[in-house]
Order: sequence, then C-alpha cells, then structure tokens
Amino acid sequence: MENVATDENWKTCFCQLAPSLVLFARQWTRSAADAEDIVQEAFVRFWRKQHDIANRGLLYATVRSIALDFIRRDSRRARRESVAMSDGDPKVEPAFAIEDDSQHALVAALDSLPIEQREVLVMKIWNELTFVEIASALEISQNTAASRYRYALAALKKNLATT
Amino acid sequence: MNDFSELEDQLRKLRPVQPSADLVTRVERALAQESSTSTAGLLPRERRFQFNWLSLGLGLATATALVLFAFVRMHEPSKKMPAVVSTSPAPAIANDQLVAAGLTQVVYHTRDEGVHFPNNSGQPMRRVRSHTRDTLQWRNPKTGATLRISYPREEVSLTPVSGQ
Repeated sequence: MENVATDENWKTCFCQLAPSLVLFARQWTRSAADAEDIVQEAFVRFWRKQHDIANRGLLYATVRSIALDFIRRDSRRARRESVAMSDGDPKVEPAFAIEDDSQHALVAALDSLPIEQREVLVMKIWNELTFVEIASALEISQNTAASRYRYALAALKKNLATT
Repeated sequence: MNDFSELEDQLRKLRPVQPSADLVTRVERALAQESSTSTAGLLPRERRFQFNWLSLGLGLATATALVLFAFVRMHEPSKKMPAVVSTSPAPAIANDQLVAAGLTQVVYHTRDEGVHFPNNSGQPMRRVRSHTRDTLQWRNPKTGATLRISYPREEVSLTPVSGQ
C-alpha cells in the first residue's frame, strides 16, 4: 500500500494499526496514555517522512526508537518504569482485556518474559509481523528473531506448567 | 504444526486493550500542524537502495576511454608521437596495429590575465590563459578501424613585457 498523505488514507491505516502499535509500545511504558503518546509521535513522524506504510519493520522500529527515547527523556519516569517492571507494580494498567483466570495467568507469564523475547512475541502474535519484518525492526538476524520467539514460547509454557 | 500451536492460539485469544477514542483526533491534530516538534535524532532510517544510473553511465564511459587510451599507449612505439603532434598522417605499416593518424587542437577560449611578476622576479610578464580541446586519432590501416580521444587542456603562457 502506497503512503499517499490524504486524510482518508492515514485514518484507515492508523485505525487498523493503532491497537497493535499501542500494545507494542506498552512494553516500555506502564500506562496506556504514555503508550498512546509514543504511538502518536511515531505515526506522525513516519507518515510525514512519506515512508511506505507497508514497511512495517520500519514503522515498528520507529515506535520502538521513540519508546526508548521517551524513557530516556525523563529520568524520573525511567526510574518509575524500571521499578514498576521489576516489582510488578499493581498500579500498572493492563495491556489486555482479561476475561478469565487462565488468561490472567497467561498475561502474568507474558509480563515475566525478558523484554527481548517479549517484543518478538508481541510483534509476531498480535501484530502478525513476519520474522523478516521483526528482524528489520529490531536490527537482528531472522534466525535470532525466530530463536527469541521459540524461547519466549518455551518460557511461557514452562511458566504456565508450574503455576 | 509445532509444539506451541496450542499456546499460540491461547495468546491470540488475548485481546489488547483498545486505544482511547481521542487518539485518532490527536494524531489528526498533530498531522495538521506545520512542523513537528524537536526529535532526539534517534529515528531509524529506511534502508532504501538508490541507484544513480547517470553516474554509472558516465563512470563506465570514462573508465572505457581510459582503458582504451592506456591500451593504445602501451602498444604504440614512443617514436610515433612526433607524427601525431605534426598532424601529418603516419606512414602505413603492414602489421595489424593502430597508428597515429592526426591531432586536432581547438582553442575555444583565451583570456588575457594581465601583467604579472612571477616568482617575485623584476621582469614583468603578460599571462594569457587558454583552454584547448585536443583530439588525437589513431587508425588501423589494415581494418580501417579508428580510435579518437578528446580531452580538454588548459595552457598558461607567460610573455615578457618590455618597458617601452
């Protein structure tokens, strides 16, 4: 799909991508509002640069870059996010609409994954990126992306089996 | 089907929380602004391979001319050069080689740069700068093939100026 900067086009593209992009950004923030700010900034920059919207690897790389920069920009925020990630802060807003206890356990297991595995899993499962696109977004090899995905699933399976 | 297909299905059933309703409005407002806010310079760049065909063509043409010129210089006896400079056709020879056939010099621009004292000497000199295009031509008397090379040349001549 060609990135033609018309009003209707960007709205269509954004509405399709926004939930997945926000979920992707939520890995580095613990509030939905911060994640939305990141997605807004990333999408606006991406669109203004006239990149091809089909280049999802670059789009997610942009979100990731701005998310990391977002954390760096505010040291107090960074400390707060770090503490939240390490301590499992109960005030953290949920990233998923949980329907039952099994899903609650699954989300808890997901949150316990190392960030490098979780970001691959999020891109693969909920954003439906290929390993080629994931590798492009994270600037890693396809084999590494696939390995991290398998490690994430194995860790999740092991975690769920013990609970 | 892999060992994790059931787990992958469970994961896909998890529904991400929907973004707030005003996110689209915020993006719309941001896109409408003339310029973006300052960036941290950390945006990744699209890897896009751009090929400049014009540069490639010019480069190849230049390389070909240089190779041909070097080839001719290597196979041509040095004593033939005066024949080229004299602009008179060289005598035909029996073997299958390119021989110098002529030289054309076209002066297309001349500029009088005035009187100078070069190297702090006391003798005034008039400096004239001229731009010339030299064209050398070789011909193979056996096959009739010709090779022509043109190149620009800049020449500066200093002429002593008398004090009278």
